[in-house]
Amino acid sequence: MDITRDARDRLLPASIPYRFFGLAVICHVGAWGLLACYGDGLPGFIGGPGPILAALHMITLGVGASTACGAAIQLLPVASRVSLRGVGATVGIFLLLVPGLLILFHGMGAAQDLAMEIGAALVIAALGLFAWKIMDLMYRVKDMPVPPDYVWISSFALIGLLSLAGLLVADGKFGFLPRRQDIAAAHGLLAVYGFMGMLAMGFSGILLPMFTLGHPPNAVWNRRAAGLALAGLLLSVAGLLADQRTVFLIGWVLGMVAVMVHLALMRQMMKTAMRKRLGPSFLLVRLSWVMLPLSLALGLAAATGFALDRSAPLFGFILVFGWMLSFLLGVLQRILPFLASMHSGLSGGRPLMPSAFTHEKAAMTHARCHFTALFLVSCGFFFEQGGLVRLGALAGLLGALALLWFALHVWWQSHKALRAAKLVNIS
Amino acid sequence: MTRQPLIASLLHEEHVQTISALQRLEEFLMGQGGKRPPELKRPENREVVGGITAGIAAEVQRHFGFEETYLFPLLAEQGQMGMVGMLAGEHQVILPLASGLARRAEAAINAGAFTETDWAAFHGDGLDLCEREIFHIQKEEMGLLGAIAAFVDNESDERLSALYSQMVAATAE
Ligand SMILES: [Fe+2]
Ligand SMILES: [Fe+2]
Repeated sequence: MDITRDARDRLLPASIPYRFFGLAVICHVGAWGLLACYGDGLPGFIGGPGPILAALHMITLGVGASTACGAAIQLLPVASRVSLRGVGATVGIFLLLVPGLLILFHGMGAAQDLAMEIGAALVIAALGLFAWKIMDLMYRVKDMPVPPDYVWISSFALIGLLSLAGLLVADGKFGFLPRRQDIAAAHGLLAVYGFMGMLAMGFSGILLPMFTLGHPPNAVWNRRAAGLALAGLLLSVAGLLADQRTVFLIGWVLGMVAVMVHLALMRQMMKTAMRKRLGPSFLLVRLSWVMLPLSLALGLAAATGFALDRSAPLFGFILVFGWMLSFLLGVLQRILPFLASMHSGLSGGRPLMPSAFTHEKAAMTHARCHFTALFLVSCGFFFEQGGLVRLGALAGLLGALALLWFALHVWWQSHKALRAAKLVNIS
Repeated sequence: MTRQPLIASLLHEEHVQTISALQRLEEFLMGQGGKRPPELKRPENREVVGGITAGIAAEVQRHFGFEETYLFPLLAEQGQMGMVGMLAGEHQVILPLASGLARRAEAAINAGAFTETDWAAFHGDGLDLCEREIFHIQKEEMGLLGAIAAFVDNESDERLSALYSQMVAATAE
């Protein structure tokens, strides 16, 4: 009987999740780099093609969706004890995603319609395939340590946001949409709160208790939070699409309650955490917990037209760079060494521990730069100073390079470990 | 995820105890550093170096023994060979590490002090043990306890819990 067969089924070949994580780390550098060059345009930005739109999508798609792909295809099978069917399809997702993103970023940045259309089509195909693979897996799941609701809602939000993306790109060519702004906003809500937010809330219940050794969130309340978040998402998106202010506001309130329940669950987990030494990655996770309700408050200000010139772009920035990016990068800093350690044991011999793959200095530099960047860019928005935004983006770029260094260190150490294991096996 | 079997809670409680001991050891080792051996004449140092390592070694031996003898075969029968193989493999690394540390601590206490080279090796292996065992427990808390809930029926749960309590009582005597 081959006792490692089962583990191999669940632990995908390292190259599969890592290629998505690598893509995320590179897009992260690109986004801050673009903002460091063109950040003057950020204060007062309300949408439309240009480098800002490209930088925004480098974070949401390049970092967000890629990390989600890498994490979901590797961690969902482990958490649910159900294998992913057709691992080859994940290669297809990646092969569609990379050229799609490159063409889309170019199209957005240079305002070239054809490139935007082709890029969008490829990315929609890649993420559609991803949604299908995840739904196929979830359909076979019998029980999971966290409510599967989060993953389902996230997958449906992904399909919704891709449909709206297609609509928006088509409208760019034919111009048939009334109230394009509201549809773009609904697309953004479904993307960040829906697709990424639900996945983040769901994974928080599995990954964070494991890293902190705290109590996992109470299952009943976790389910309620998922239900509230779903209702909030549906109503606020419907309110935007149908131009119904009251419906949107009810959705907003439900969303805020869901976030509060989620944060209370996370607070409970941190209180019971047995592991106290959590490192720079948890500075980022904690920061994201502050940014999540802040983003909702700014979203309400923007939706009700309060100080619109400032609140609308600041909302987008705090939501995407403040909440989503901080959370993802904090978790990524833990997952990369964690998976590397798991893989180092597969080739036989003594597995290396995550600390062997963790470049502490690079992680700390990244966290410091990330905080500085968020602070400076937010000040830039507030005082409407483009120069301050660019300075902040420069700090972000420095941090992104530190994170790239961190990731290269993981890769290099894995490579060394693999070579050493091979030498041992031969001799 | 609704029913938490007794044996899962018992193992979890012991994980909690082991982790708190490991964290005390880890704090001490980090505070002391690898270059300067601790003053073993001071009782609080003897307590951490000798008492805690001996405690961890004994706890780990019993706990691992229970998992390998009674729990893993049952889960392997249910098709969980991959997880069981990985966890058992980690036991094979951790157990000698823990008992080696306890033995070296006892020798140093009897001799009255660590030599500088002995301490450097003890310090490195001690931190290695802390990370390995905590990481091992993290995996068990994530995978093993869930698998128990999914694959261990009420009858087996009662039998395993009784066996476990017997083992704990036997080592306490
Ligand atoms: Fe164990
Ligand atoms: Fe255990």
